[in-house]
Amino acid sequence: MTAKFLSLTDSEYAIFISQLKQANERLNAFNFIDENKKSGKIISVKDNICVKGMPATASSKILQGYMPGFNATAVQRLENSGFSVIGKTNMDEFGFGSFGLNSEHPAKNPFNEEYVAGGSSSGSAVATALIKEHVSIAESTGGSISAPAAFCGVVGLTPTYGAISRYGLIDYASSLDKIGFIGKSADNLRDVMEKTVGSDPKDTTSLSNVISNKNPHKLYVIDNLVENIDESIKDRFEDLLAKLSAKDYEIEHVNVDYLEYSVPAYYILSMSEASTNLAKYQGFKYGFKVKDFSLNYNEFFMSARKQFGKEAKRRVILGTFIRSKSIKQRYYEKALAIRHAIIARMKKFLNDGFIIMPSMPIFTPKISEVSDISPVEAYSMDMLTVPPNLCGFPHMSFPYFYEKGMPLGAQIITDHFNDYSLLDFLSEWESGFKYKFKEEIG
Amino acid sequence: MKIGLEVHVALPTKTKLFCSDLAYENQEEPNSNVCPVCLGLPGAKPVLNQNALDISARIAKALNCEINEKTWFVRKVYFYPDLPKGYQITQLDGAIGIKGYVDLNGKKIGIRRVQIEEDPARIIREKDYSLIDFNRSGVPLNEIVTEPDITSLEELKNFIEELRSILYYQGVNINQELKTDLNISLAEKRVEVKNVTGVKNLISAAEYEIKRQSVLIKEGKKINAETRSYKEDSNETVSSREKETEEEYGFTFEPDLTFYDTTKLTIPKAVIASNIAKELADKNEYNEKTIRELILFNRRNLSLLTSISKEEFKKGVSLIEKFASFGIEDYSEQEFRKMLDKDVSSIEKEGFLQLLGRTNKSEKKADKTEIEAGIKEMLSSDKTLFDRGIKDEKAMNFMIGEVKEKYHITGKEAADFIKKVIKGMLNN
Repeated sequence: MTAKFLSLTDSEYAIFISQLKQANERLNAFNFIDENKKSGKIISVKDNICVKGMPATASSKILQGYMPGFNATAVQRLENSGFSVIGKTNMDEFGFGSFGLNSEHPAKNPFNEEYVAGGSSSGSAVATALIKEHVSIAESTGGSISAPAAFCGVVGLTPTYGAISRYGLIDYASSLDKIGFIGKSADNLRDVMEKTVGSDPKDTTSLSNVISNKNPHKLYVIDNLVENIDESIKDRFEDLLAKLSAKDYEIEHVNVDYLEYSVPAYYILSMSEASTNLAKYQGFKYGFKVKDFSLNYNEFFMSARKQFGKEAKRRVILGTFIRSKSIKQRYYEKALAIRHAIIARMKKFLNDGFIIMPSMPIFTPKISEVSDISPVEAYSMDMLTVPPNLCGFPHMSFPYFYEKGMPLGAQIITDHFNDYSLLDFLSEWESGFKYKFKEEIG
Repeated sequence: MKIGLEVHVALPTKTKLFCSDLAYENQEEPNSNVCPVCLGLPGAKPVLNQNALDISARIAKALNCEINEKTWFVRKVYFYPDLPKGYQITQLDGAIGIKGYVDLNGKKIGIRRVQIEEDPARIIREKDYSLIDFNRSGVPLNEIVTEPDITSLEELKNFIEELRSILYYQGVNINQELKTDLNISLAEKRVEVKNVTGVKNLISAAEYEIKRQSVLIKEGKKINAETRSYKEDSNETVSSREKETEEEYGFTFEPDLTFYDTTKLTIPKAVIASNIAKELADKNEYNEKTIRELILFNRRNLSLLTSISKEEFKKGVSLIEKFASFGIEDYSEQEFRKMLDKDVSSIEKEGFLQLLGRTNKSEKKADKTEIEAGIKEMLSSDKTLFDRGIKDEKAMNFMIGEVKEKYHITGKEAADFIKKVIKGMLNN
């Protein structure tokens, strides 16, 4: 099998762009579409990853007008391999969200516009669903690749933390942020993965480890994690396990301690880091600029930082609180301990098997159903995607069923540096599964 | 009396702490040595300058610190226009060096921590506005935090001298203005004088605080725990009127960097010039103070005096003083050796130079060729000057002026010489 990407001749290009813009008006997949002709293989890039000469806003008003003069390493490596960036995809502001709704023009689900696309890499999932043979460079901190991939019926691959350089990524939480991919075939995903992995002198946390490839035939199901999800999702997941069992996978049910703390631990660590990463937005060097120079510097910064959306403000405030001297030990340090404890416990199983679970605990919700839920309810939707993200384990969400026309995704997790085994698993899965994509363009 | 210091010193590296911009060279044009990293642009990431880590480890070792086997960085979060990321990358618990001391003649002044950190940008304050020059943003610093072990003004002076000497022998540019936070308390309450620039100001600030606090104590008034700043023009400290709450920087691990293993660093034994002065004084039965003055901030003097025998020592010292008194800085060890065999006790400069084999005549000759080369370069780089030079007296005078200024020469004779050279070249 070989990778195959959409490339366009000059004459095809104008039609492609007009189709894309038309679809984008309905679905808001892109924050920016580059109309200049592209000679290479078409990819799109999440709007929190820098592409030289294209705006990078991370869907935030505070970055309106920021035009990076450099490429993210992942983008540079793909451009060096003949890929061309078609545009920047929509997302929850700075990656803060699970439904894609924390954006001025939220992306909509390609299967049904009344439904959410998932987040935070909402636009990357929608673009991938729409465009033929597409792969989008996305990013996940706590589930931002798996969630939209599952809701939009595409595959989301989140590599080992550090496997792909974060240089050029607009930080949310640096110790958790991972650049990854949303695509539609194991071959395409493997191709972009191979072209981007490897250490980068510009990112200290990037890793040089050779990615090994052990292919376990054992699947662990973590019962205490799956027990609290929607009953019907559970039923579909049981059907999936039966299918996999028939394909010679050995299924074992286990319990993993402390997983109930993974969501709080994740939000404590990520908000804490986010509140420092967002300190750079001050309204005078790039992006949104405060024009009133009569203000003193406190007033000046405050008037700039009013541009943050509600969720960004919430995370900056909570994160700052968590970092404060008298509170730090009570939350931050415990969260770190939880993270280590969970890594050790999950690693035990990943030694000789995959861990498998549904990607999301609910069916794709309608936009109207989730636009008013409380932050805590929204955060709890990440209960399945957070554990591998918190631990830096590579994982992948793949479509496995269609219920009333909407896709369902399952998530498979493997050990650090074993990323390609996920794609091997996917190749095997593809041999017996028929994807139903909402492809219209290309 | 208790005095503790936080001394900030710029490290002798070619490039900045987290990017490859030049740290000290070519800084004339504001915002010319900047990149996405030191401007804090979204998407950029810091990468530690290994050389800064090496130098910091050596400084920490020279200050008798324990070197943390793993060293790491934290973010110190606060808002100020000179801080492009909204946080400064610095160190705390994971500092490169901890629990050290400086030995002042048997009394140990504790060094709590040596930490590596980045310098913020420079703010240039104009009347109605301020400008920011990011050339300084990311210059590598060490912050040296002492214990409050200094108990007198005299001790403060001695400590600073000793510290500067130790830093000098680690390659630090000793002509830089050290920036110091001075913590000083005569009673229980601690007063912090922030951001004192230069040693002279530091001593004046301490002097002023000692006086101010003693008067308050004498008068039975209470001393406020507060932050003050030093005013250079009036030689006094004034209250910064900051709120009396503890500073809250929300320190957190710097996740864009990693843990750095220091166990594989090779750290040579530090040169402590004041100890060497003591040893030399004992060994050669010579006045320690004189030796100290010669070697505390002079690498060559130290090397010369440690290399000569006891019999030569006295003569060596006066020879070094002789060189200094004649304003000769660029002598080699061979020249020193050569002169050591000669009696120069009552010799004048002329004769000294002759013995040294450097006569005035030969110096002048060398200068002339240098000037000729300079004129040639000037003429070849500026075609208009070349063209106008012959007819135009103004152009000629301009050129003569330029050359005189460049080579610091004066007098009619020199001007005539320059004119002759220029004319000669123009006619060719």
